Amino acid sequence: MASKEIKLMAHLMRRAGFGASRGRLDELVEQGYDETVESMLSAIDRPTRITDNLIRRYHPEYSGMMGNQSPSGNWMYRMVSTDAPLREKVGLMWHGMFATGYSKLANGKVLHDQIRMFERHGMGSFKNLLMELSRDPAMIVWLDNSENHNGSVNENYGRELLELFSMGVGNYTEHDVKEAARAFTGWTIGNTEYMTLKSARDSVWPYGRLSFHFEYKEHDHDNGEKEFLGHKGNLNGEDIVDIICKQPATAAFLSRHMYSFFVADEPPVPEWPYKEPRDPEAIAALSKVYFDSDYNVEEMLRFLFKSEFFKSEQARYQRVKSPAELVAGVLRLTGEFDRPKVDMNPTNLQSTYMGQWLLNPPSVEGWHWGTEWIDSGALVERVNFASERLGNIESPGVQTLIDRILSDSNGGLNAEELVERALDELSVGDISDKTRSALVEFAEVQVNQSDSGNAGPEQVANVLKLVGATPEFQRA
Amino acid sequence: MTTTAQPRTARLTYNRTIGVAAMQGRGFYYPWSVAVAADGTYFVLGRGSDSDPRGVRMVAMNLEEEYFGTFGSFGEGSGQAIWNASTAIDSQQRLFTSDDHMNRILVRTLDGELLDTWGESGTGEGKLNGPNGLAFNSKDELLVSDHLNGRVQKFTGDGKHLATIGEFGSGDGQLNLPWGLHVDADDNLYVADWGNDRIVKFSSSGEFLANFGSVGRGEGEFDAPSDVCVDSDGYMYVADWGNQRIQVLDADGGFVEQNEGQATISKWAQDFLDTNVEESAARDAADLDMDLMFNTDDPHERSAHIEKLFWGPTSIALDNDGHVLVVDSNRHRLQVFDVVTSA
Amino acid sequence: MVTAQHKPSLIVIQLSGGNDAMNTVVPYTNGIYHDSRKAIHLTEHNVIDLNGTLGLSPSMGPMKSLWDAGKLAIVQGVGYPQPNRSHFRSMDIWHTAESDHIANSGWLGRTIRELDPEAKNVITGINFGRGLPRALHAKGVPVASVGNLETYGLMPDIADRMTREMAVDVFARMYGPDDTRDAMLQAISETGMGAYLGADILRTAPAQYSSSIEYEGVPIAQSLRDISQVLLADVGTRVFYTQHAGYDTHAGELENHAKLWHELSTAVNDFIADLEEHGRGDHAVVMIFSEFGRRIRDNGSGTDHGSGGVAFVLGNPVKGGLYGEYPSLDPSEQLEGDMKFNNDFRGIYATVLDQWMGINPQEILNKNYEQFDMIRR
Repeated sequence: MASKEIKLMAHLMRRAGFGASRGRLDELVEQGYDETVESMLSAIDRPTRITDNLIRRYHPEYSGMMGNQSPSGNWMYRMVSTDAPLREKVGLMWHGMFATGYSKLANGKVLHDQIRMFERHGMGSFKNLLMELSRDPAMIVWLDNSENHNGSVNENYGRELLELFSMGVGNYTEHDVKEAARAFTGWTIGNTEYMTLKSARDSVWPYGRLSFHFEYKEHDHDNGEKEFLGHKGNLNGEDIVDIICKQPATAAFLSRHMYSFFVADEPPVPEWPYKEPRDPEAIAALSKVYFDSDYNVEEMLRFLFKSEFFKSEQARYQRVKSPAELVAGVLRLTGEFDRPKVDMNPTNLQSTYMGQWLLNPPSVEGWHWGTEWIDSGALVERVNFASERLGNIESPGVQTLIDRILSDSNGGLNAEELVERALDELSVGDISDKTRSALVEFAEVQVNQSDSGNAGPEQVANVLKLVGATPEFQRA
Repeated sequence: MTTTAQPRTARLTYNRTIGVAAMQGRGFYYPWSVAVAADGTYFVLGRGSDSDPRGVRMVAMNLEEEYFGTFGSFGEGSGQAIWNASTAIDSQQRLFTSDDHMNRILVRTLDGELLDTWGESGTGEGKLNGPNGLAFNSKDELLVSDHLNGRVQKFTGDGKHLATIGEFGSGDGQLNLPWGLHVDADDNLYVADWGNDRIVKFSSSGEFLANFGSVGRGEGEFDAPSDVCVDSDGYMYVADWGNQRIQVLDADGGFVEQNEGQATISKWAQDFLDTNVEESAARDAADLDMDLMFNTDDPHERSAHIEKLFWGPTSIALDNDGHVLVVDSNRHRLQVFDVVTSA
Repeated sequence: MVTAQHKPSLIVIQLSGGNDAMNTVVPYTNGIYHDSRKAIHLTEHNVIDLNGTLGLSPSMGPMKSLWDAGKLAIVQGVGYPQPNRSHFRSMDIWHTAESDHIANSGWLGRTIRELDPEAKNVITGINFGRGLPRALHAKGVPVASVGNLETYGLMPDIADRMTREMAVDVFARMYGPDDTRDAMLQAISETGMGAYLGADILRTAPAQYSSSIEYEGVPIAQSLRDISQVLLADVGTRVFYTQHAGYDTHAGELENHAKLWHELSTAVNDFIADLEEHGRGDHAVVMIFSEFGRRIRDNGSGTDHGSGGVAFVLGNPVKGGLYGEYPSLDPSEQLEGDMKFNNDFRGIYATVLDQWMGINPQEILNKNYEQFDMIRR
């Protein structure tokens, strides 16, 4: 039975990372909770074990990034091997919030570049992040800001910036949308016509894709007087970002996203104007940190992970793992990708089958999270993937799990012990009696059927498969 | 790296670019290696993309971009490949390819007819783990870069193990994830020691002779070099893969020149542009050779933006007519240079 | 066991990549066709003539049989206003039946909801393939995705049959109703039970099936065979969806296009024959579409994305023939080198929804679209 400290640490690792093996949890508990939070936060510069050069040497498509599986395949390698998983989780949060997709860009490289931008700037100042986002070439084309001209305004970016990326519906007027759009005229990409034409036509010719670059076209910028949220002047994009960041609505919106991603699933964003947050006090507290720290995301995360509302029993298992998190978490446990392998592409595709095609969201609204991840098709994929991988005794990580489960088992494990240890190793807690008794019955048959009458590797592997299939395993 | 006192004259001048992106028919999809037949035909081996099997094939063509045909396909069956790695042709004009996932060597006629398949996975003598670079010596013996085993092995053309050269490590005579190979007229072996950022030279009997280069971006320095070839004057042409360039060194390893790529529109590329008028017009109006500020100091990023530069130069080879061919994988083309021998 | 009340079924086959309409239904007597496609044109010597001016691609023999039997409707010049030449965007438009803005649900997802508003039968709609195409997606609507019917189900990787059966049993227990669980687990469990029941029903389908038809060993044929098995098993499935990939023929078109249509035509013909053999030919309509057509002029080896495609609707209940007009190839009528559409694809949707499935198309498509007189009454 895991101690309270282990359970809390497991909760932290499931949220700030992709989970951790029981052995690792023991080490981290030794280190201490607060110290672990600090090391998770500061681990942004450690190189990943699987370097870019190594990936590119085997997978040219993760180098040239022409197609629609390239940026996600490359990202999955990092998620699976990184020593700084919080950085990747934060990247997933931003990608869900600032959802940009292959369906319109037809260019894997520029999408990958956006994720890399999240890695560089995602844990610093939110204001700086919004500035980077406004200059991000993939975002510019995705939301048509390359079509936003002086005298012929395209409001798409201006609108989504306010509606989805910062303040949320109800905190600005249509006039504000127009003025924001005017302020961002001229914020475009170089070689605009050629680049957007190539995207529209999905052209890989003659020589593959070309990366986009930001270009500010002064002559195309509307230099007139503008009024945005009560502020007047010849406002440019950076002024809009500055004003936005000062708004309490921005603090609240960002805080609610962070809460939903790291603490407990909130309802979908379109319902936010009508549904109060689960924990308004937590949102208020996070908002305060937002302002006190000068919009610093790392400070907000520090506060969040050390807060009572995060550590509380009420927060445990209150998120449904997104497909990418489920896949990455399972692969980190199995250890099967210790180096680039041809199996990565089909493995990464599983996340798509489960309903989350990274870098190709259904729209700028991203994906609907929580129980909406679990439709019947997706659930079958999730269960089958997890059970297959976790029960594969060829994988080094699974061998480790089996060894640990069978260690110190003197006369042999009985069914209850076997199940208990398996649940412990896979960090699946809070299971219902129903689930537990079903697992124990299964384990009993396994143990009885084994040649020796004791649980051996094969029997343990089968129990691990079933644990991966539980409803509880779907939760983080 | 010290520079020589003599003035360095250019060894290479840019000639042309051949190829275009295509998974089928005339063109390449992530070409990874090239071999030149006695009659001058180029055989370009396609690695393809993991998400589409159609690019995994061999394309036969020549300097004039005449297209002769294609063969080979993705799979584990007879004559198929999963990860096409390298290609080489022996004196009997048999075409060899290595597959660094299936751990095997395929032998074909130049028309694509499968003659033989050999290779067994493993770490023991004669076994293969990630065979990529291929080169023949004067006795038609095949040198195979057995990269995950950190060594090069010598086989007869039908797969009988003859010798093992090198072992895993970073010291003299050791190799770390080696890639491309070259054998010169004296049967010396040159290895692109990818993981150690250098070129290693061995004698015909497998004795360590020299290291060339060390990690870096400067002249004579490398970042994960993928291939090397050596001409009859002893000049070494290195595919400095991680630095997105090629370098020329003299026989002593002295730096001669470097080139970041100068690609122009090939005939096949022109065909595409002629049929797609709007795209061609938009392209003409664009500046594809811009001076940009990059947020990272990474040659890979630079090449992603600027089309004429090498992007993933995986392989470098000499043809029979004084040309150096550079397989520019992410750009689905070969850049061709003339070797300039000073009059 | 559901009693056999043979409600109409719709089978939708998506040709992914942008099928080249002009080389499928070929205007082989038109000089502009031959002039524009020097590399890949088909001539009177190879096409299968339909009416003296149009012919089918040579590998479409089995489709010609359906045509001769009066069961094949060919809808020409299919598309929508302001054609989009991006695979994703155009496919999305076909999937959601919405060309003006980005919609969240698919037309078939909405259809399934209309057919089974309380989701009483979790396999009312099935995708034969992995993942869920947007066309079938609608909030709260369960849809099964069957990659391979033979192996479909929970934890198919467990080799030992008894262990697997027990595992699936355990699954059913774990996901069974339990009031002690919180709302999130309850929702997950409900979905799980649906998946379990669906899998349970579906796994009986292959066992009940016997037929003299031997489908080819290619994916599209196997998918159609799976569809036939489920349809004949009478488990209440009304909407069947599958994809045939590879139609993005930018290069090597002649060979590839021929191969694709050989596979598809044979598979579809076998499927219809299979239904016929079991006396069920009158209960199914098949619709075949692609996200766009291709450019009039070839590029030396193939064709690039264009517009103005062709769609097929076939089966016993269909009145065969040509519908709509073949788009003009006259340069003055071209749309930047592409064919203009003259039939909004949603007209086909409206036709099958209204005249075949018995559903008010306005409910699904949010607008009125002109229908074809394509279904026998």
